[in-house]
Amino acid sequence: MSEQYLLNDAEVARFLVTGYHLVEPELPVGLNENIADQLDALATNPGDAITEAVPELCQVLEHPAVTGALSSLLGPDYEVQPHRHWHCKQPDSPHMNWHQDGLNNRDILLNRFLGLYYPTDVTPNMGPTIIVPGTQFRNAPTDRMATYTNIRGQVPLTVKAGTVAFTHYDLWHGTAANRSVHKRHMIKFLFRRTRENTAPTWNHEPEATNKPNDWNKKAQAEDANNILNFTNPIGVSQSDHYKERAIRRQNWDFLMGKQA
Amino acid sequence: MDTRHQRLLYLQARTPSPLSGIIGLTFIEPIKGYKPEIVATDPDWPYETVHDALVDGWQIVQFPHLQAPFDDRELDVVGYEFILQKMEVVADE
Repeated sequence: MSEQYLLNDAEVARFLVTGYHLVEPELPVGLNENIADQLDALATNPGDAITEAVPELCQVLEHPAVTGALSSLLGPDYEVQPHRHWHCKQPDSPHMNWHQDGLNNRDILLNRFLGLYYPTDVTPNMGPTIIVPGTQFRNAPTDRMATYTNIRGQVPLTVKAGTVAFTHYDLWHGTAANRSVHKRHMIKFLFRRTRENTAPTWNHEPEATNKPNDWNKKAQAEDANNILNFTNPIGVSQSDHYKERAIRRQNWDFLMGKQA
Repeated sequence: MDTRHQRLLYLQARTPSPLSGIIGLTFIEPIKGYKPEIVATDPDWPYETVHDALVDGWQIVQFPHLQAPFDDRELDVVGYEFILQKMEVVADE
């Protein structure tokens, strides 16, 4: 693994805090267009067999910017799970409410997450995925989210063609309506840790990690310690923020390979 | 004939205080077919606090439930939910 593509301490800390990280790999010229054209022409959804239907998708997973981020967050022995799915948001389709995937049996440690690949540019009117940074540690039944609509700090994934958005499995997400004439494609992949870390698997610099708390910069902090301590993506209450900080620290120590 | 209908406003606030800032906001309008929508552009935030809505004539019909067992480690939903109403004339179609 080339160190060039591994994340740094601040990027790992921000992923733990916000629950997402965007990668824009320099894919071969024409690859995104080729994949988008094949998806446009698909008559049925092949489910897990989407990579057999569109084998060029594997080139995205193999790009060093993608494998570098995955190795940084899940260790070099990460597993690409067999479940994957083509999400095609059709023109004139409505928004999708906030939800967490699966049952309410959340794992607060970083053992799995999603990779969302977008083969075309996604504009605000194309029904982008929308996420709520920092909600990945909440155990919230989707039914309880039915009275939420817009949330301060929500982030629409209006991205460039070829972007891979890594999102924590439990991050609150939904979509806007697609009011364009274009299909909005997204391929969802699922990745899993196979082995616990015994040491950091990213570009770790101990001296950059142990900076003291900076009460003046707070949310503008650029180093791991202050990012973990002060960032509050949607401005939750002090009580919730303290709980979030405790979970972030637990995760950071887990990734550093420290024994509990 | 014009009649008064119930408009609803769900506000998720940072704390149980009506003076608290708002994290989430949803209008439910008494209009057939009305659906609130998550948007990819900057949403309209007419109020910064629950109190701002009171000043604008909204009435709280349900305060946040605080009877649930307190847990100092687990996180669940975002914010504390206030439900407000405003009775206003809506023109019959």
